[in-house]
Amino acid sequence: MTGMGIISAIGNNLPENRQSLIEGKTGLGTPGIFQSVYAEKFPFGEVKSDDNALKSRISGVQTSGLTRTDLLAFTAFGQAIADASLTDKDLASHSTAFISASTVGGMCLTDQLYENANRTSSEFEYLASFPAAAHALRICSHYNIKGFTDTINTACSSSLNSILLGTRLIRAGRAKRVIVGGTDSLAKYTVNGFNSLSILSPVPCRSFDKDRSGLNLGEGAAYLVLEAADAVVQKKAYAKVSGFGNSCDAYHASALSAEATGVIRSMEDALKNTGINASEVDYIHTHGTATENNDEVEAFGMQKVFGKLPPFNSTKTYTGHTLGAAGSIGAVYTILSLYHQELYPSLHFNTPIEPHNLIPCLQYHKDYSINFALTNAFGFGGNCTSIVFGKA
Amino acid sequence: MYITDLACISPQPTYTDEFLSGNLVPNAGTRYSALEPDYKGIIAPSLLRRMAKALRMGVGAGALLLNRNTKPDGIVLGTAYGGLDHCLKFLNQIVDFNESTLSPTNFVQSTPNNIASQLSLMSGNSGYNSTHVHKGHAFEAALIDALLFLEENANSTLLVGAAEEISAYNYSIDDQAGIYKKEETNSDSLLQSGTSGTVCGEGAAMFMVNSTDQLPYFARIRDVVMLNNPAPEELMVAVKSLLHNHGYQPSDIQCLVAGYNGDIRNDYWYDELTQSLFSHIRPLSFKHWTGDYPTASAFAVWLGCHILKGNAPHICPQPAGPVLIYNHYLGIQHSIILLDTK
Repeated sequence: MTGMGIISAIGNNLPENRQSLIEGKTGLGTPGIFQSVYAEKFPFGEVKSDDNALKSRISGVQTSGLTRTDLLAFTAFGQAIADASLTDKDLASHSTAFISASTVGGMCLTDQLYENANRTSSEFEYLASFPAAAHALRICSHYNIKGFTDTINTACSSSLNSILLGTRLIRAGRAKRVIVGGTDSLAKYTVNGFNSLSILSPVPCRSFDKDRSGLNLGEGAAYLVLEAADAVVQKKAYAKVSGFGNSCDAYHASALSAEATGVIRSMEDALKNTGINASEVDYIHTHGTATENNDEVEAFGMQKVFGKLPPFNSTKTYTGHTLGAAGSIGAVYTILSLYHQELYPSLHFNTPIEPHNLIPCLQYHKDYSINFALTNAFGFGGNCTSIVFGKA
Repeated sequence: MYITDLACISPQPTYTDEFLSGNLVPNAGTRYSALEPDYKGIIAPSLLRRMAKALRMGVGAGALLLNRNTKPDGIVLGTAYGGLDHCLKFLNQIVDFNESTLSPTNFVQSTPNNIASQLSLMSGNSGYNSTHVHKGHAFEAALIDALLFLEENANSTLLVGAAEEISAYNYSIDDQAGIYKKEETNSDSLLQSGTSGTVCGEGAAMFMVNSTDQLPYFARIRDVVMLNNPAPEELMVAVKSLLHNHGYQPSDIQCLVAGYNGDIRNDYWYDELTQSLFSHIRPLSFKHWTGDYPTASAFAVWLGCHILKGNAPHICPQPAGPVLIYNHYLGIQHSIILLDTK
């Protein structure tokens, strides 16, 4: 990883995000921009910039037809390529690939979509902006990307799968560098969807707590620049992808099996792919959404794989669940831990879940030795993905 | 990547031998609906009732293959929109009922990865699972993902495919964006219409793919090339490179499957490629049979496999060399797929 860019509820860029993590400062609260009858009822992890502010920061980009999902993507993408010092020539090279992810796409414009789909509006600015791939196609077009491009949607594990596919492309010699990640913004569509499943929490989410009451939705985007080892000449490198695993739980469309089949398999496959034992993992960045089902199954699964767990946390207690962006946002936080050799606290925790009795990291630790860190993302449809990052 | 089994549901009778035997179904208007089989024995009636068409077709074609082959090591699909019809149902409910309590079924069913996940659920497959949604390259990305997987894992197999449905959502929105014809049209005259716009199609095509040639196979996908917004010269270079890398020249291609869709604004790409490199053959069109949609190239691969096997003599005589497929979606996302007998 030679570059990273991120925008979330806890910061508009990488340093701001890291600072919030160090301070244990959550970004969850009542949204100031997002409009829904549920805005007052549930906490959200809203990015603290409205669309105009986002537009003003992505200078040189044609903003007509860009939805909030697109704006977040452009923001984080621009930061990542600048951080990796990629030139226009690098971006337009056929050996530069781009793999993104989104679940919401332009559906954040829920009312606009309703009107266009029902032909009750003459507002056509966003007609091409609704699909999940829209942001990726706009980025491709603006940056003149010629290599392999893709958009993945495997629900909440989407952007971790972007990183996985990007790694495989480089390993196979099909690309020299790949920009990978994902984006999603708050949308009435997803808020209502999750509410209909009764898994939204009326309080800031309490990951791995016995009295957790569900997840908070969040928004954001994060992109990472992956480069082949021989292309990384005199560049700083944050970390490397050491291994990965992808497995399907094959149990239910919106819940994980009690046996944690997919969860366990994706973690075990990631360890095997890395060539290390569970005991060599120094930190786990969990999926930790704080739903009844996820945290129970993830806790159970982690114990099965690790026995005695290394320190772990859930950064969703800071950002909320950012859906399509969750994988890459989590990856960025995992890499920050690895790169700076520090651990960030999990928030809103009181009592562990029985009988697992697992307690997440509750304090900031600096100078903490981390050689390998594992990150998880588990999506609707049972799409489970785990990645192991190692020191560069 | 060797294709050992395949299935297709489309606006033509492709689920059975009828289409390949020469029973070609004409269509009129701007929506070519897929002909669905009786899903008895494949999808339980209780599940069928609640499924969107994309899900029914994807599962119908996919489960057919899963049921009659050994369990693959994973399932990789491409779909630009997934179960959009349910998406719009849920969306309408949100607005019509001003966000009051809604039924979760439509929400959960509308997610594009639901097709791959249902297939894994029904077949108890906990292997690799992914869904690509990159619009006109969704199926191609799935193929590349599969190609990589088969290279990484010796003696492995996968189910790979695509599914797409016409729904009020993509039809209305795309129609307002000028994608479809505004005038009366039918499949006999579509490709010679000389006007803007095409017609909307739908369908699912699924393939069992193998990393080795141990089992009898229909075709080998040698490679897939994806181009974003290329200049015409870039396309010519890419086609020549692809062929050259696999030991072929343009003159070795006896069958070129081309994605002409009757839209005068973008069909010239196919003319230019043919005139430039393949003037010795007449390209074979297919979108007057299927309509156009982001993952239509999956149908082209299904057809190409049967052509290579000599199963579709009425459509195209069995070629001496490989089949080349060239397709683009809206003139922006272009793909070239080389199907070979070895």
